[in-house]
Amino acid sequence: MRKWLVAVLVSIMVIIAVGQKVTIIANAIKGGKNTQVVDWFEKYIPDIEKELGITVELIQTGIKDEDFKARIVLDIKGGGGADILWIDGFWVPEFVEAGYLRPIDDILAEIPAWKYYYEPMKAMGSYKGKTYLIPAGTDVRMIYYNKELFRKAGIPVPWQPKSWEDIIKTARIIKEKLPGVIPIQLNAGTEMGEATTMQGFFMVLLGAGGNLYDWETGKWIVKSSALKDALNFYKQIYVDEKLGDAALQVSPGAREKTFELFRQEKIAMYVEGTWFYTSVLNPNNPSWGFPDRDERIGWAAMPGRGKPQDPEFVSISGGTGFAVNVNCKNPKLVAEVLKRLLYVEPQLSYFQMKPFVSPRSDLADSCWTVNKDKFIAETSRTLVKYTTFRPAFPVYPEISFQAQLLTERVVTGQMSVEKALEEFAKEVTKIVGKENVIEKP
Amino acid sequence: MKRSLMGRKVIIFLLIPALSLIFVFLILPGVWVLKIGMTNETLTGAKARNPDFVGFENYAKVLSDRFFYNALRITLLFVLGSAIIGQAGLGLSLALLTYRKRRLKSFVQSVVILAWIIPEVVVAYLWIAFLDKDYGTLNVLLSAIGLNKINWFYEYPLLTIIVFNVWRGTAYSMLLFSAALETIPPSYLETAEVIGASSWRKFKDVVFPNIKSYILTDLILITLWTFNVFTPYLLTGGGPSFRTELLSIYIYRTAFRYFKLGYGASIATIALLINFALAMFYLSLSRRRRA
Repeated sequence: MRKWLVAVLVSIMVIIAVGQKVTIIANAIKGGKNTQVVDWFEKYIPDIEKELGITVELIQTGIKDEDFKARIVLDIKGGGGADILWIDGFWVPEFVEAGYLRPIDDILAEIPAWKYYYEPMKAMGSYKGKTYLIPAGTDVRMIYYNKELFRKAGIPVPWQPKSWEDIIKTARIIKEKLPGVIPIQLNAGTEMGEATTMQGFFMVLLGAGGNLYDWETGKWIVKSSALKDALNFYKQIYVDEKLGDAALQVSPGAREKTFELFRQEKIAMYVEGTWFYTSVLNPNNPSWGFPDRDERIGWAAMPGRGKPQDPEFVSISGGTGFAVNVNCKNPKLVAEVLKRLLYVEPQLSYFQMKPFVSPRSDLADSCWTVNKDKFIAETSRTLVKYTTFRPAFPVYPEISFQAQLLTERVVTGQMSVEKALEEFAKEVTKIVGKENVIEKP
Repeated sequence: MKRSLMGRKVIIFLLIPALSLIFVFLILPGVWVLKIGMTNETLTGAKARNPDFVGFENYAKVLSDRFFYNALRITLLFVLGSAIIGQAGLGLSLALLTYRKRRLKSFVQSVVILAWIIPEVVVAYLWIAFLDKDYGTLNVLLSAIGLNKINWFYEYPLLTIIVFNVWRGTAYSMLLFSAALETIPPSYLETAEVIGASSWRKFKDVVFPNIKSYILTDLILITLWTFNVFTPYLLTGGGPSFRTELLSIYIYRTAFRYFKLGYGASIATIALLINFALAMFYLSLSRRRRA
C-alpha cells in the first residue's frame, strides 16, 4: 500500500516538474545582435534544465533597444511576458513605478554570489529601498579610432587627445588627407535614441563640467554654459566644419549604418561604449567584426573641454541585468535558475565570451586573467575612476528625448544653438514643472 | 414603402452577428481610445498604474504641439500627392490609356496588381534596396550614366514616400476606373468620333460625366486609406528629422516609443475626427451631384 502511494506521489511530482517552465527574454539573437549571449545561454541552460527538471526557454529578439523595451512593456501590461527579463538598468525606476518588476530581495537571499556585487552596481539595480535588478556587467565610454587610417593620415598612434581642440585638430587632418572618410562620429539626433544621450551628448556635456541633472538640488538643469558649449562643439563638428555626417545621424537605421561604415573603415573616430568593442567589432561578429580588431582599432579616453576647471577625462556607465517580471508565477524556480547562472563558472565563461567590466569583486581579477582581455583590463583601470551614471529617474526618458532633439536641431541646422536651447528649456520645464528646474551659470 | 420579404424580427436576428462584431472590434475600441485620450496614462512610470482623468487637457496640449502640426501638414501633403494626384490621377490615366487595348491593358494591370499584392515589408525592403544612397539600384544607374548619386531618403524624403505609395496603390484606382470605362456604351464614343471631337472633348463630355460617381467613390476610399497609412514607417521611420512623420507614425511614436498612451490616444481621436470630416465632405459632394 505504501509503495503504491509513493509511486503515485512521485509520478505526480514528475508531472508537475515537467510542466514547469522558466522563460528568459534578452535582446540577443543567434548570428546577430549579442550573439554571444545566446551562445552562453545555450551552453548552460541544458544543465540547469536537467538539474532542476524543468524547461528553461530563451526568447531571442535582436531588435532596437527602444523596440525591445516596448515589447517587454506591452507583454507585462498585457499580463504576460518572460519570467526573467534581461534589461537595461536605467529602465528600472520607470518600470517599478508602473508596477512591472517584482522586488527580488527574497530571491537574492537564495543567491550566494550576491554579496560580491559592488555597492554602486547594487545601487543601479535598486529603487526606493528595494532591489530589482542583478547587474550582469557594466561598461565605460571612450573614443575608438582606426589606427590604420590614422597612420595613413600621418597622425602618430597611440593617440590621446587632451582637449576638444585636439579632437578637432585631428579630425581636420583626416578630412584633408583622407577624402571619403568621415573624421568623427559623435552620436546625435532622435533616430539614434538613447545612444545619442549616453554615447554622445553626455560625453560632451560632462566634459564641459555640466550635467542634465543637478544632484545637489535635485533639479533638472535647463540652462548652463556647459550646455551651450556642448552644443557648440556639436555645431563645430557637424555644421561649421563638417567633420561628421549630419545626414547619416538622422537617417533611418542610423546606428547600424555607422557600424557598417566603421567596419568599412570610412569612419576614423567613433565615440562609443565597451559594447562597441567587445560586441560590434568582435572578430566573431559576422556583420561588423574586425578579424584583426586588437591591432587595428585603438581607443583613447574622452577628454574634457580643456579649460582649467574641467574634468581631465570623462566617461559614463550603464549596464544591463536580470530583473523579474511581476507576472512571474514561480519565483522559487526563478531564484534557482538565477542562482545557477550566477555561479562563478558560468559567469567567467560569460565574461570570456563577451568581455565586460565585472560588477562583482570575486570575478574582477579572474575574469581579466581568464580571458586575458587587455582591453577590458586597461579601460576599466583607466576609466572607471572617471565614470558617472545617468540620472535614471522615471522622467529621465522624456528628458533624454529632449536632449536628443536638441542635438538633432543643431546638427541638421534646423535651429541655432540659442534657439534650440530655448526650446529645450521650455520643453523640460513643461515636463517636470517650473519648481523642478534650475539654471546654472 | 417597399415591404421587405422577411419580418422585422428575422432581420434583426440575422443582423446580430454582424452588429456584435462591429461592436466588439470597432465601437468598443473606439470608445476605449476616447476614454484613454482623456487620461494621462503612460506605459511606464507611475501613471501606468494610476492614470488620472484629465478631461480635455491632452487636446489642449495637442493644439500647441509643433510635432502635431508638422505631422498634420505632412499627412495632408502626402494625401494630396499620393492619393489624389498620384493614385487617382495615375490610375485614371492608365485606365484611359489602356481603354479598349486588351493586350496592353492586361499587361499594365498585371504589373500594377503585382505592386499591390506583394507584402508590405517585402515591398519596403525592395524600395530601400532600390533607393539606398550608396548601393541602391537607382543610384548605381544614375552614376553609370554620369550623374551624381542622390541620397533620396535624406534630400527628398516626402517625395520618396509619395512615389512609393503611388507605386504601391495605383492598382486599385486603375482597376476601378477600367471597370467604370466599360460601363460607357460604346455608341457614345463612336458618335463622338464620327463628329470629329478631340480627345479632350471626348473625355470632358462623354467619359467624365459617365464615370463621375466612380471617381468620387475612389477618392473617398483612397483619401481615407492614405490618411491612415503606416507603411512609409518601414521606409523612413518618420525621419530624417520628422520630415516624413505622418500622423499615424506620430501617434505610434507617442504611444509606443515614448509610451504616452493617453496623449497618443487623444491624437488618434483627432485623426479620427479629421477622417470623419473628409468622409462627410465627399459624401456631401455626391449628394449635391444627385440633387
